[in-house]
Amino acid sequence: MQLDTQFMLTTFLHVLQGIPVTLTIVMVTLLVSAPLGFLMAVSKSGEGKIGRRIIAGYVSLIRGTPVVLQILFLYSLLPTALNYWIKEVLGLSYNIFTLNPIFYAYVVFILNTTAVLSEVFRSALSTVNKGQLEAALSIGMSAPQAYVRIIIPQALVSALPNLCNTTVNLLKSTSLAFMMTVKDITAIAKIDASFGYNYLEAYLVIFAVYIFLCSAVQGVFHLTERGAAAYKKPAVS
Amino acid sequence: MLQVKNVQKAFGENLVLRGVDIEVKKGDIVVILGPSGSGKTTLLRCLNFLERADGGSMDFDEIHTELKGASKAVVSKVRKKTAFVFQNYNLFQNKTALQNVMEGLTVARKTPKEEALARAKAALDKVGLSERYDYYPSQLSGGQQQRVGIARAIAVNPDVLLFDEPTSALDPELIGEVLAVMKKLAKEGATMIVVTHEMTFAQEVASKVIFMDGGVVVEQGSAEQIFTKPKEERTIQFLRRVLRDYDYII
Repeated sequence: MQLDTQFMLTTFLHVLQGIPVTLTIVMVTLLVSAPLGFLMAVSKSGEGKIGRRIIAGYVSLIRGTPVVLQILFLYSLLPTALNYWIKEVLGLSYNIFTLNPIFYAYVVFILNTTAVLSEVFRSALSTVNKGQLEAALSIGMSAPQAYVRIIIPQALVSALPNLCNTTVNLLKSTSLAFMMTVKDITAIAKIDASFGYNYLEAYLVIFAVYIFLCSAVQGVFHLTERGAAAYKKPAVS
Repeated sequence: MLQVKNVQKAFGENLVLRGVDIEVKKGDIVVILGPSGSGKTTLLRCLNFLERADGGSMDFDEIHTELKGASKAVVSKVRKKTAFVFQNYNLFQNKTALQNVMEGLTVARKTPKEEALARAKAALDKVGLSERYDYYPSQLSGGQQQRVGIARAIAVNPDVLLFDEPTSALDPELIGEVLAVMKKLAKEGATMIVVTHEMTFAQEVASKVIFMDGGVVVEQGSAEQIFTKPKEERTIQFLRRVLRDYDYII
């Protein structure tokens, strides 16, 4: 057996064009999911019973089903449902089937990551000692001031390792976006491979690409962690 | 200056405070003694609304309020007139000593930054930490952390300082430095309510000693009165137990 190195090189160059697509999905998802997940984490520890139930149900629904299934389900449901809604309810003539499929990818990954992050933030908030809030209140801060200045900064630091995990997992899951015809890294490799059945070479190439991307993400988080946790280090003097 | 009447608090079935009255005058050093579970810490926390009492009322200078139904505005007013020193310091872990002290000024009281900085430095100097402005809590010893806690409390110029067992979490050799700071504040005329197990401190510094047991005030009076001629049987028993330590050496 011999690897077609020429094919691997051209595929690699093609795949590079998919990196921005993959990273865009990751960034958009994180930017939307982080605040949503945080709000959920806060309301989970809050008073509203009904809200808490709904959130708990949503989180266990998402975490209890495979991402592949969520993609298959939403990609079958959403376009037809949206089409019906636009044509019949709103009476517009917009053709939903021309919509860039990346938007469906956003929906799936946002739904998923929000659920994961709500748990990440909830556990991070619970690592901050209750005394921190009491101390802030006792010197006259309001509860929102205490959260913004004291609690959340500390919670974020302890959330960093889990945030790194979530981001890496998300980055890897985006490889499933090809199922929604999004032209990400994996999709490009598969298309290239299908012309001459060079699947093995194509997969080897994107193996390397994913390893590189994930390592880069971990590196960034590692540096952030080191900088952000400076206050935890005992003094040498 | 500060008076609370009939303070009641229950945690579930457990009645922790069963109608406690205390009165504090300006310049008083009130020491609250009592066995653990007697409700002294809960009482202190109710004064600052860290715990919400189930009943009772408060007169604090111009503020008159029920403890249970106190509005957010009243709670915030009371908190700005008091400052709390915690048993386990509760310094803001993500802030340096100086920032810990400044926070109550710049954020809660909108003090201009220059002034807040000067006051924070003065407070840290007073507790003997001029060399530790930029240290994080994790870089300080327990005694130093508690002194930052005291600096944070005095920097906001409170009318009443509340101490909740300030030396209970400290190694024995670090207790002295914290007590010294507290004595210094007492001498300067600060009004303090101190929950503590430090009997010598109570004897030397207190202008009034309150002995609590089972959620009520059993006896109160001057330090001399309580320590040399206690009237109530429970006080006598308690003092015998805690002072017995001096009779032998381990």
